[in-house]
Amino acid sequence: MKRNGIYFWIGAALFLAGAMLMTQVIGNQYPFFACYVILQFIVLAVAWSILGGYAGYVNFGTSAFFGVGVYTAVFLFKATGVPLAVQIAAAAAVGALMGFALGLLTLRMQGIFFSIATIAATIIIETAITNWRYVGGASGIQLQRPAVMAPFDNYVEMLFFVQAVMVVLAVAISRYIQNSWIGRGLQALKDDELAAECTGVPTLRLKLTACVISGALMCAAGAPAAMYLQYADPASAFNLNYSVSALAMSLIGGTAHWAGPVIGAILLGVTQQLLTVTISSEVNVLVLGVMLVLFVVAAPEGIIGLIRKVRSKRNEGEG
Amino acid sequence: MKRRTLLGGTIAAAVFGLTSAAIAQQPIKIGMSMAQTGGLAGGGKASLLGIEVWRDDVNARGGLLGRKVELVVYDDKSSASETPAIYSKLLDVDKVDILFAPYATVPPAPLMPLVKQRGMLLIGNFSFQVNSKVGHDMWFNNAPWGPADSWASSFLDLGQKAGGKTIALLAADQEFAQNLAKTAREVATKLGMQVVFDQAYPPSTVEFSGILRALKAAKPDIVYVASYPPDSAGILRAVNEIGIGDNVKLFGGGMVGLQFGAVMENLGSLLNGVVNYNTWLPEEKMYNEGTKAFFETYTKRAVEAKVDPLGYYLAPYGYASGQMIEQAIKAVGSLDQKALAKYLRENTHKTIVGPITFAADGEWKESGVVQAQFRGIKDKNIEQFRSSGKQVILFPAKLKSGDLITPFEAARK
Repeated sequence: MKRNGIYFWIGAALFLAGAMLMTQVIGNQYPFFACYVILQFIVLAVAWSILGGYAGYVNFGTSAFFGVGVYTAVFLFKATGVPLAVQIAAAAAVGALMGFALGLLTLRMQGIFFSIATIAATIIIETAITNWRYVGGASGIQLQRPAVMAPFDNYVEMLFFVQAVMVVLAVAISRYIQNSWIGRGLQALKDDELAAECTGVPTLRLKLTACVISGALMCAAGAPAAMYLQYADPASAFNLNYSVSALAMSLIGGTAHWAGPVIGAILLGVTQQLLTVTISSEVNVLVLGVMLVLFVVAAPEGIIGLIRKVRSKRNEGEG
Repeated sequence: MKRRTLLGGTIAAAVFGLTSAAIAQQPIKIGMSMAQTGGLAGGGKASLLGIEVWRDDVNARGGLLGRKVELVVYDDKSSASETPAIYSKLLDVDKVDILFAPYATVPPAPLMPLVKQRGMLLIGNFSFQVNSKVGHDMWFNNAPWGPADSWASSFLDLGQKAGGKTIALLAADQEFAQNLAKTAREVATKLGMQVVFDQAYPPSTVEFSGILRALKAAKPDIVYVASYPPDSAGILRAVNEIGIGDNVKLFGGGMVGLQFGAVMENLGSLLNGVVNYNTWLPEEKMYNEGTKAFFETYTKRAVEAKVDPLGYYLAPYGYASGQMIEQAIKAVGSLDQKALAKYLRENTHKTIVGPITFAADGEWKESGVVQAQFRGIKDKNIEQFRSSGKQVILFPAKLKSGDLITPFEAARK
């Protein structure tokens, strides 16, 4: 276990160093634009999986959290012009509060009812933002990026690195939850909430913790998107695509292990980026749909489940 | 030594000659993203086909600067979040020479700071006031919107001439419709009209009879509607069911969707009497040099490509984008962005949609939007829209092909 931890942090450090090196060496802007989107989806998928994977509460409201993150940043930037780090921190705080409210919702609603409530929440929040003129309302708002900070010589490179740091943060938190008493408690309530409560698992506290962490991460992932696009409009910020993608990535990767959503997000994210610049027509929507169906049929536990199956078969063969 | 210099010189000259020949053979790349999927796909495909028809025409004429013209097009899924990465790819990986903007207003919005930063020329494609805040001086919109308020003022002017004093506003809660409603309020105040009803509805609304009953109760003379394709249909169906009142003289204005073949075919006789904006119609005065030939080619190819068989709204303007850049490149003799922008800004360009002159903000100096009234439309017949007289042009005066029939209830019959 301990050796695993060391490997993980070495890997994380290498990943960040690699990201930093990329910003210093590569002159071409496109990789940063494309990788930023993939990293953003990794954070979203990992955050989704904390509540949806470990606790089994399927949240369709990823786009609500993402959009609130975007608009927190827009509001703060327009009102005070605070730097990016503050925007992200504030978005995380707002996300945590929203997550707390969502957690209280789980008291009354479970299963499909909870999922439907999260969709309703998305629509309510989007409508509210649509009618809020200060942040652009329905017509959206264009933003002018401030000057970039050293050592970066380009804003997109900086956003890319910031998002890479958030990936490490999200994965570390998810990994910690999985390996600690929180994860085991969540697993227990996923299997049978009543039984877990009876055996002394503090289900409400655990659910609230999961919702708060998941919400904070999703909102934080959304905050830099305002500066990435230099534009925000409710239809794009609250696009259902974020909810569907985060869910699909987690399911395809597998929700039982923290690495599942990471693998899923990389696989789907890279495929989406590639399809956008290669096939680039209706077919790319079809390809994603077919991929999802194939995984649901052939690998219901996701890629992680598939790997485990292959491993256990090999072990059996050896034994 | 001398011989070596001579040899070196020869090799250098040969290499130079070869590379310049290679450059001459390389095509001029025009890059863009275009909605192929999502809500804007219907318009995006028609617009792209218009541009493709131009590309084939210009290549048949021998290309530009002796080079072939090639389009590099990606699907932006009708979303603003896709375009920054796509345009970065176009600039940094594909190294395109000229940029065209994606169709509509939301997808190009994030691009404006990017192109301004890179000093790139951008030919707009039916965006509405997307450059007003960024102020990029190398932006040229192909759409005939003109000054922001010209749209509302042409419609309200017609209403006032028909004796209208009060106005009702009905607008979707989306960027384009809200911008239209905003200018309509301003113009109404300027014309001394009273706004007696002002309602925004969520974009997902499907049932309009409640809203229309409230509107009817306000007894307006003019009803200005700014809506999107699904709601435009919903509103007309509700009007057909419950009526709109005898005092309404003018109905329509900014209903998006009533320009698309499939929507028009579907609504059929419900369209009668509606006065709505348009960009091109098969009326005699709208034909310029090349317009007829363009539509002959377009119609043939649209059937094969399964896009809007009429294609009046967007396709000719896609072709016009190409014509403008063609004239600029020919006049300047290079692909220098600044020089091209200067040429586009300072000259009038001859296109199949008429002469285009740009104002300082990159929009048309004078609005080319027409307001036309649907007349004698029958159900389930798309071919009827190809003949003149089905959409009679009321505004502007120079393109006028008939007079307004009022009140609206009489014109509906």
